[in-house]
Amino acid sequence: MASSRRPALPPINKSSCDDHMPNYKDLDHLRKFLTAHGQILSRKRTGYCAQCQKALKQGIKRARHMALLPFVG
Amino acid sequence: MTALYESMFLLDNAVVREGWNKAKAVITDTLEKHGATVKTIRRWDERKLAYPIKNKNRGTYALCYFEMGNEQIAAMRREFDLSERVLRYLILRAEEVPAAELELSTAEHAADFVVPPPPPDDMVEPDSGPIGQGDEEPVSPDMIVPDLDEVEGEADERPRGKKNEAKASLEV
Repeated sequence: MASSRRPALPPINKSSCDDHMPNYKDLDHLRKFLTAHGQILSRKRTGYCAQCQKALKQGIKRARHMALLPFVG
Repeated sequence: MTALYESMFLLDNAVVREGWNKAKAVITDTLEKHGATVKTIRRWDERKLAYPIKNKNRGTYALCYFEMGNEQIAAMRREFDLSERVLRYLILRAEEVPAAELELSTAEHAADFVVPPPPPDDMVEPDSGPIGQGDEEPVSPDMIVPDLDEVEGEADERPRGKKNEAKASLEV
């Protein structure tokens, strides 16, 4: 019955997410939620609630549009 | 209906080199032409772009808050789209002008605020690395060279030095 799945990595945002709403200008904060290839991490990995994950997605996409964050790489 | 908007503009560094006031006028003239009242405008940052835009690797960001009727937004967007001096722009609705933003923009306007001239477009190296690497770089060149000299004189390096000298003498 042993599962071959890797154990899930702990979420980055361990505390509740109401203290810091993601914003496109806060680049150091946004970078924590990107993979090495520039992909947005899943909610499982970020530990964000639905509302904050949506704000994170929006913030990263706005930053990408302004060439503050990469689309790839 | 008028509303408050937050906007960020990415300006070509060639425009900024002609003078920051000129560069600001590129934005404010277009805004005011379409009936906007500019609340604050300031230089946000000058940085390397995450990807080249119009063969430019660096650009200057300006952050602006303005009030405007929503009917004119589309026409203004079209003008910014066509502008070659504004590389990118982002216009968002805002609830209020943040207090910090008011302070920073007044500081830029009032005092003898000198906007540093943008570096050449080829200068990619210093900003390219992550923050951690950037912190290490200024320390390493000064620190490593004298350390090596000191270490060579100390006990740890002596045997190696002697071995090397011995080898050298054998080779000769």
